[in-house]
Amino acid sequence: MNATVSAEVADLLQAWFPDQRWFGGKGRALRGVQVESSVVLPDTADAFVQHVLLRVQSDDGSVDRYQLLLGRRTGELPQRLAHAVIGVADGATVYDAVHDTDATSSLLRLIGVGDRLETVRFTTDVHDLDLTLTSRVVAAEQSNTSIVYGEHYILKLFRRLQPGLNPDLEVTRALAGLGSPHVAPVLAWIEGEVEGQLTTLAMMQPFLSNASEGWAMATASVRDLFDEADLHADEVGGDFAGESERLGTATAEVHLLLAQAFPSRTAGPDECRATADQLHERLDAALALVADLTPFAGALRAVYAQVGALTDSVPVQRIHGDYHLGQVLRTLDGWFLLDFEGEPARPLADRTALMSPLRDVAGMLRSFDYAARHLLAERAGEQHLAYRAAEWAEHNKSAFCAGYARAAGSDPREASTLLRAFELDKAVYEVVYEARNRPSWLPIPLGSIARIVEQDQ
Amino acid sequence: MTAVPYDGHGYEHGELVSLEESRDPLWYKRAVFYEVLIRGFADSNGDGTGDIRGLTGKLDYLQWLGVDCIWLLPIYESPLRDGGYDISDFVKILPEFGDLGDFVHLVDEAHKRGMRIIADLVMNHTSDEHPWFKASRADPEGQFGDYYVWSDTQLSYSDARIIFVDTEQSNWSWDPVREQYYWHRFFSHQPDLNYENPEVQTAMIEVLKFWLDLGIDGFRLDAVPYLFEEEGTICENLKPTHDYLKRVRREVDELYPDRVLLAEANQWPADVVEYFGDDDECQMAFHFPLMPRLFMAVRRESRYPISEILANTPAIPSNCQWGIFLRNHDELTLEMVTDEERDYMYSEYAKDPRMKANVGIRRRLAPLLDNDHGQVKLFTGLLLSLPGSPVLYYGDEIGMGDNIYLGDRDGVRTPMQWNADRNAGFSQADPQKLYLPVVLDPVYGYQALNVDAQTRSSTSLLNWTRRMIGIRKQHPVFGMGAYAELGSSNPSVLAFLREFGDDRVLCVNNLSRFPQPVELDLRRFEGSTPVELSGLVPFPRVGELPYLLTLPGHGFMWFALRPEEEQ
Repeated sequence: MNATVSAEVADLLQAWFPDQRWFGGKGRALRGVQVESSVVLPDTADAFVQHVLLRVQSDDGSVDRYQLLLGRRTGELPQRLAHAVIGVADGATVYDAVHDTDATSSLLRLIGVGDRLETVRFTTDVHDLDLTLTSRVVAAEQSNTSIVYGEHYILKLFRRLQPGLNPDLEVTRALAGLGSPHVAPVLAWIEGEVEGQLTTLAMMQPFLSNASEGWAMATASVRDLFDEADLHADEVGGDFAGESERLGTATAEVHLLLAQAFPSRTAGPDECRATADQLHERLDAALALVADLTPFAGALRAVYAQVGALTDSVPVQRIHGDYHLGQVLRTLDGWFLLDFEGEPARPLADRTALMSPLRDVAGMLRSFDYAARHLLAERAGEQHLAYRAAEWAEHNKSAFCAGYARAAGSDPREASTLLRAFELDKAVYEVVYEARNRPSWLPIPLGSIARIVEQDQ
Repeated sequence: MTAVPYDGHGYEHGELVSLEESRDPLWYKRAVFYEVLIRGFADSNGDGTGDIRGLTGKLDYLQWLGVDCIWLLPIYESPLRDGGYDISDFVKILPEFGDLGDFVHLVDEAHKRGMRIIADLVMNHTSDEHPWFKASRADPEGQFGDYYVWSDTQLSYSDARIIFVDTEQSNWSWDPVREQYYWHRFFSHQPDLNYENPEVQTAMIEVLKFWLDLGIDGFRLDAVPYLFEEEGTICENLKPTHDYLKRVRREVDELYPDRVLLAEANQWPADVVEYFGDDDECQMAFHFPLMPRLFMAVRRESRYPISEILANTPAIPSNCQWGIFLRNHDELTLEMVTDEERDYMYSEYAKDPRMKANVGIRRRLAPLLDNDHGQVKLFTGLLLSLPGSPVLYYGDEIGMGDNIYLGDRDGVRTPMQWNADRNAGFSQADPQKLYLPVVLDPVYGYQALNVDAQTRSSTSLLNWTRRMIGIRKQHPVFGMGAYAELGSSNPSVLAFLREFGDDRVLCVNNLSRFPQPVELDLRRFEGSTPVELSGLVPFPRVGELPYLLTLPGHGFMWFALRPEEEQ
């Protein structure tokens, strides 16, 4: 059997790739898709399924790597796979086989026995996995694809691959190893070779079947507040502050364990200056793209300059790196943190660098702001709602920081210069993102910047 | 089931089986309970106070509503210094309620209608006016000398907490007659019986048998954790107490095979389960923390307060059952919960005066929910579908209001509102003679809000409640079945499955005021057709993709999951 793919299939993929949610090269034209390696999954019934590593080259010369489960079937395709079709090539229907339970069951069996297919290795820490469970694909994910087996396991396939150990696997294993109650332990993982380096392809954890995203819970609370006529954020039934406070505590507890599991140290004035330089550079880039930011440039630079002038030593350590309300799950056992990969678009070295945990705190504070204000995008002109949104955000940020302080021993708001600078940096990033993708949301980060620098004056 | 309207003049039935023909030892697992305050339900003799004959006259109504078991608060002779929980004669009826003949008549008439009667009975103590206590103080060497816990000092059992801290300084009080201290866990006018004395143990079993012989179907045993004392302990939940309850159960089971014992242990579920024993103590106990969690969840628009408490509720023996309620005359106080739970309750409750009121007993269901019938129905739906036997509080089925100016407990004990006649049809007495005034306010006043008016409107809360009870009774799964929560990503939706053999019911509840979508993983039931139970409307078949439902604000739906049918 042919272990690679034909030119016909490669052409299909080149047309199909840009439409995938997890495709990171949006806005760039594809020059070519090549198969770097492929293995055939055993025992996939009527289907022929390959696990392939693809090299995707864009017009601007950049090269990215992706993995794919490529299925092929002859004859009539089962109805349940219709939505996964990529096209027809070589007389067979080609489709994305993460949606094919015959393919995913084969993966689970390989995991369960700790098998190896050429360079692809399956490793598990658990001996009694139920290998008979059938799978479904979790909808609505951004950069990866997750497969849920029964109601028990979730296998996350990292779609876009960077050579080396994925920080999500590295950090989650370390935290679980130290007994953190805020992460789901790693049950198994899959590795392959990318550019000659052992690279994480997937990881499997217990599925938290009765869990909700922090974002969904926070916005439920905001909706409830907006529906009340004259009650304040701490008076309405949907008050979220108790949850925010517990989330703050969970965040601090994870930070403490990260400092224990990985190196940590303090950064001196030199590094503060370097950090300030970075902040200035990112602002420069943003100013070049979004004119609406210009009126705030002076005030932003003033805050960044304070960071550059810091003479205290600042603790740095491994952090979450892309922390917001969509990365936390409320379960029956409290808050769980997810997705320790950092920002997937950044190089691996950046994502594992030691940084101030205040960056995570700033990320979450920004997320509270978004949760409070995103409903306003549809309801511009309702001034009283903007006031209440601000009140909700302050109320919950304050609860989050208080909860954080309870576990960390110090309140993040005490390090006000850094925290404010990181919040502004995040907001500047958001301004660029919204200007490009959702111009109607642009007032959210711009308004936040205005408020933060106003407080500062 | 044909809907026979209740016309207030007796309910002609042809399909009912009286209890004598349907002995069912597990009846309490399927039953819908209804808590009645005899004083407030119906007054037959025009003295301004409800009585047993009055209640008997309303049995047709309760049968029509679908009630299986009536729970009576204390009916015994008492000086009424603690709402009748201070009993001065265990084998006499409080005269203003009637006499033993009235009680036997009530039990017979209830049984004829397929309904049962249980009553509160205080095991731990008596009134200081009970003849046993009078004899015990007067004659330490006499037959009753050792019936109570006497001591020359106040030093013993110093680790036992004082329950009514605001009125009592000590668990010991001085008796000037006997010139000794006596032990009391509650008020000083309620001396504790001495269960170390075998004669007391036997005497109390004789009390139970007295009522069982009259036909009563069971008891809620009051204050059971405190029966025995032991030096160096907190004098609660001790082994001799459990041993004695096992003996009570054994002796009751031997002679009276289908009666129920309900433990009053106002504690955390993990502690309460001890009173089920190995299915050899009480068959039932109340699940106290569920009620405040229901209110918290709907107020927060988040299922987690409910999910957590049910996940942390231990399994109970298969013949045992929780009693669950939205309102009753008891309350959960924060002192009874674990440290962790107390932190949680404080962080969620302490800053929210509204939430504190929900834990207390001062409000009825409807005013607590701002008279929002959407929420009243959601709460009632949860009560009827969560694991346990539901206990309705009289008047809540018509959405009765309360009178906060009457003070602590009396505010929720006003006369039942039967019709728009004088005194709401409760009594022929001079209105000024009533034990408590009827509710008169413009929203909840009896002129508009009463059984009679609601009976005649098919869309009334009363008729709706009756229909939901009817649905519950068609599906034994609600009382007997296993409970499993179905997770979803929408925090405002609580979905769960009740399962008892082939009887499977899916319940989906929107705890939010806004419409909500939910996607449920029903792959286990692929191919089956959910049938909505109130209208028997078939919904789309379950496929392999997540099952999508949308619910209106505070809406809920119950579905029977019918197996795939042969095409």
